[in-house]
Amino acid sequence: MPHRLEIALKPGLLDAEGKAVVRKADDYFGIRIDDARCVSILTMDAEFTADQLEIIRGQIFTNPVIQLSSWAPLSIDFDWCIWVGYRPGVKDNPGATAVEAIEDVLGMRLAAGMAVYTSRRYCISSSSMTREEALTVARELLHNDIIQQVRVYSRAEWDPAVGVGMIIPAVRLDHVPTVSVIDVKSDETLQDVSYERNLALNPRDIPVIRSYFIAPKVMAERERIGLCHPTDVELEYISQGRSDHCNHNTFRGLFNYKDIETGETRVFDNLFKTFIEAPTLELQKQKDWVVSVLWDNAGVGKFDADNYYVITGETHNSPSNMEAYGGSITGIVGVYRDPLGTGKGARLVMGAYGFCTGFRDYSGELSPRLHPRRLLDGVIEGVRDGGNKSGVPTPFGQVIFHDGYMGKCLVFVTALGIMPARIAGEPSEQKVTKPGELIVMCGGRVGKDGIHGVTASSEIFSENTPAGHVQIGDPYTQKKMHDFLLEARDKGYIAFITDNGGGGLSSSVGESARFSNGCEVWLDKVPLKYEGLDQWEIWISESQERMTVAVRPEHLDRFMALSEKHAVLSTVIGKYTDTGKLHITYDKKTCAYVDIDLLTHGFPQWEFVAEWVPPELRGLSEPVLSSPNDYRSLLIDMMGRPNICSRQWITRQYDHEVQGGSVIKPLVGKDRDVNSDAAVIRPVLGSSCGLVFSQAAIPFYSAIDAYHMTACTIDEAVRRLIAVGGDPDHIGGVDNFCWPSIVYDEKSNPDGKFKAAQLVRSCRALYDLCMAYKIPLLSGKDSMYVDGHLPGPYGERHGISALETLQFSATGVIKDVNKCITMDVKKSGDLVYVIGETKDELGGSEYYDRFGYIGANVPMVVPDIFFAAYNKLATAVREGLTASIRGIYRGGLGVHLAMSAMAGGLGMAVDLEKVPASTGLSNDHLLFSESAGRFIVSVAHENAARFEELLADTATACIGRVTELPVLDITGIGGKSLCSVEMAELKQAWKKPFGGLI
Amino acid sequence: MKELKALVLTGYGLNCDIETAYACELAGAIADRVHINDVIRPGFPLDEYSIMVFTGGFSWGDDHGAGVIQAVRMKKNAGDRILRFVEDGNLILGICNGFQTIVNMGLLPGFDGNYTSRRLALTYNDSGNFVDQWVNLAVNPDSPCVFTQGMDAIELPVRHGEGKLAADDAVINRLEEENQVVCRYALADGSSAAGKFPENPNGSINDIAGICDPSGRIFGLMPHPEGFNHPTNHPDWCRKKANRQENAGFSQTGISIFENAVKWLQGR
Repeated sequence: MPHRLEIALKPGLLDAEGKAVVRKADDYFGIRIDDARCVSILTMDAEFTADQLEIIRGQIFTNPVIQLSSWAPLSIDFDWCIWVGYRPGVKDNPGATAVEAIEDVLGMRLAAGMAVYTSRRYCISSSSMTREEALTVARELLHNDIIQQVRVYSRAEWDPAVGVGMIIPAVRLDHVPTVSVIDVKSDETLQDVSYERNLALNPRDIPVIRSYFIAPKVMAERERIGLCHPTDVELEYISQGRSDHCNHNTFRGLFNYKDIETGETRVFDNLFKTFIEAPTLELQKQKDWVVSVLWDNAGVGKFDADNYYVITGETHNSPSNMEAYGGSITGIVGVYRDPLGTGKGARLVMGAYGFCTGFRDYSGELSPRLHPRRLLDGVIEGVRDGGNKSGVPTPFGQVIFHDGYMGKCLVFVTALGIMPARIAGEPSEQKVTKPGELIVMCGGRVGKDGIHGVTASSEIFSENTPAGHVQIGDPYTQKKMHDFLLEARDKGYIAFITDNGGGGLSSSVGESARFSNGCEVWLDKVPLKYEGLDQWEIWISESQERMTVAVRPEHLDRFMALSEKHAVLSTVIGKYTDTGKLHITYDKKTCAYVDIDLLTHGFPQWEFVAEWVPPELRGLSEPVLSSPNDYRSLLIDMMGRPNICSRQWITRQYDHEVQGGSVIKPLVGKDRDVNSDAAVIRPVLGSSCGLVFSQAAIPFYSAIDAYHMTACTIDEAVRRLIAVGGDPDHIGGVDNFCWPSIVYDEKSNPDGKFKAAQLVRSCRALYDLCMAYKIPLLSGKDSMYVDGHLPGPYGERHGISALETLQFSATGVIKDVNKCITMDVKKSGDLVYVIGETKDELGGSEYYDRFGYIGANVPMVVPDIFFAAYNKLATAVREGLTASIRGIYRGGLGVHLAMSAMAGGLGMAVDLEKVPASTGLSNDHLLFSESAGRFIVSVAHENAARFEELLADTATACIGRVTELPVLDITGIGGKSLCSVEMAELKQAWKKPFGGLI
Repeated sequence: MKELKALVLTGYGLNCDIETAYACELAGAIADRVHINDVIRPGFPLDEYSIMVFTGGFSWGDDHGAGVIQAVRMKKNAGDRILRFVEDGNLILGICNGFQTIVNMGLLPGFDGNYTSRRLALTYNDSGNFVDQWVNLAVNPDSPCVFTQGMDAIELPVRHGEGKLAADDAVINRLEEENQVVCRYALADGSSAAGKFPENPNGSINDIAGICDPSGRIFGLMPHPEGFNHPTNHPDWCRKKANRQENAGFSQTGISIFENAVKWLQGR
């Protein structure tokens, strides 16, 4: 008999969650709620005696000081009651920990199939609330139908004896696992199968797949093992391995590029090899700190003589777009498995985020599945819980708003780890599998979660995209596994390790078995969440929190004992061989038998037509715009623009100091509330060496030219490092491309050729900048198909493509963290310098955007000139000459002078005429141009001479000084006072848009 | 000087073990990071240790109240040995999730020698959200707490979603009367935060940030002393450096709390 426990705070105690519901209902929908009380519900599908129930209730789930609980519905008054619980099969993390606690306190194990399910009900008091309003609160605030079920009760509809009843969302499949054999008589049959089974096979791959299975040699081998036609396990495996997500077909494609204006045509064979691999290999020769790149789950650089750092970046866009919390927590927890699966395993030391969504206050005609406000809230909370509960600090992040992300949002997640240079006497970055080693799966169990996730993320979002691939990451389970695997690593038990991400076992086992040249997998050994999964589902399921490890037989017992101590599930599911075959069995019966290298050769390259239409031919030009005269109001308004204003509410939800190595925090300055340029941590506590990290994304410039978008983005990330004390000789990069579909189609993607040209140009810029700044690309990923179709007011649907977006992450090692500096001015009287030339480059700027213009003069990077200045500035930092450094980013000089001064709690008096600039610029150009390569530096008087000497031969000038009076005083061209604004007013404007959020 | 060993708990989602062990070692102790399952194993030599630190983190994901399940596990499987550890005159420090855990075990407040009764709760912050920020703490000079002897104020980071101390008036009054309130959230000048956010980050009653048992040997607090193990951890360190104060600006760090513990044990 199931049991249902209801738990609530005692009356009179503040219900913070309820309070948040009240506030949001009012803020978002203008619905007045007087009070909301939350009731936690644990529905236990298990047998317990009355005594056991009392122990469970009293000793675990009720805090006698603050809570009430009852096995009958709690009598809490309401006008409306909204119940929300998970759908069957959705990961219920608190349900799983409840089982652990019950088993612990009762000293018994629950019988197989028994479980605890958590849900909540909200008791809402509001005399005026209508049913329609109650449904709005339920649908738009409390419940997401993809993962949850909901019930709404009025007071009259509620039976106080029955409550919500016993709702048991258990998965019962009643299905006997079956391997299907698929007769591939013709290419057309295979195409049909692909469509029916949602395999998303590329039509050009189909003949290759078919010819493999009908080759006489292959057929003979298969016959010997009892197979004939391909099985669903095999076809699903191929589908996973050939997806754009796993195989990066777009980046490895052939691009026929044509410049419409000049008529220039060029062929680029494989963007990845040409623009990413080639420069990185070249730079690896020049930089002895590059340890391991281009093959593993993450790149590896040298931290100090005894330690390596590890870095990678990912996106999790499609799932987050459907279920913001679940998608983003799965993203951050998932990317944390990459460093753990790099080399023989790295400990996680830092995470970072980048969110791109529609505007939070969007009130237009389109109806996205989740309003950007709700989407962003969910994404923020998902990455918060995923990061905080993993015990990994999140000291850097960014949020970008643009209507183009209404079709699909972007969720970037980045992870850094650290590992000893040698483990058990061997290099930590190296690993191979060998015949005879056992394949061990560690972590969670396998369910239907995430099946076809990679193929879905390789597709444009349609109204029919299956929701089955939405998951909820479980940082708790993964943290236990993380701690276990690091201990196993240090004892030398790990021969090879990789994570189970996209494609699940099919990808992790398939790829790791290429080292040994073969494997046997026993799918019936894989622990399942519930019975009834088909073999192919077990093989490709993306159930989270799993790693695949190669363990030598002689280590197995000790490995398993350690796993048990850490309460981590580990299971031997096969062994590595050297047969050249991927051989999968279920109950000793073969269900797949293919060449281990099947996926790595023989498949045709994807081809794209790329047509570049320069901005002028697209009708872009500079706006006809005269200089304003009310600079005071203008500057105040600029500070409050969504893409500039404070996001403190997000930053403080993220634990950015756990692990005790925080050096430069995300919020700095006198009041600790202005964004730092970059983050610095001490990942090895006994060492004064630091790891510096920054990210940038300026997608707005893609509206003009993705080449310059890319160049400026990389330049900004680099300047951010330099600004806190980074070393120009050690900059590692991570490129994360998020692009709309570049596959031309007359109807569905008429500008596909242009988007393809933008991608080619972006890659060229990536190459140019990396070579010029000497940045090896330690890691990178691409996520194509950032498009969506949104319903409009008349039932029509609008295709929406995101701006071509590159998030670039930069990292490096700082030899002595005591030399680091922050962006806030420190002392009145210090001199204020600008480094770098300001030009007529307002195309794509925040200033033009204020008026709805794009313009044409996009900022351009002049790498040689810029990088020479960065080196000199870095020397000045090393010599301790600079009191503060701020890069000039989005919004331009005016905005960042304000940031630097208000962070210091002081004022500034500057003269625009002294700003190093090209000739003929007006005041608004000088203040709001977004020219790259620039910094604002404050320097104490006694250091000024040496600073100027060092920066000689660069475009550097003293433009004013720091003042005690907290006012930003700007003198314009011709010596005329432009404006004099109190810092308090600027800060208030900067904080106001999101100031009420917590 | 005799060798002192500190036991630093790990496992099940705890995550401050490395820096906590580092802090213990900076203070002169030998620190072992020990998995919860090793500690509860019969025969585990708890008596080799003089300090037991319940560390910060998210044990069991904090799913059913922060520190609740850890407390159940420790109390059920090692409760008696931990009580003996206390009786033997050793020290227990609970930081953040560790504070939540020892409160749920009943090790605090420890009125009348009762170390198993749950009298206090650390519940959701009034803001309803997790917060990471630094706080000013005013230390009660009349508290018997051995970890804070000689201190009158300290700055530390808080990083929690459930740090609001709540209890019946009688319990709070008694904590106050017996000087078991060790430190309170305060303004920068040391005066009372008076419940004001963000100086009091969670709405804790009487701005209470940390308490001890009547003996002063069991100390629990929400802020993270191990998070201030180096001058560069402090949010103002660059400002002090630029104003030529160098590291002299910090007369103490969070390590002082660990040093006090070691000093007290050595003088025992």
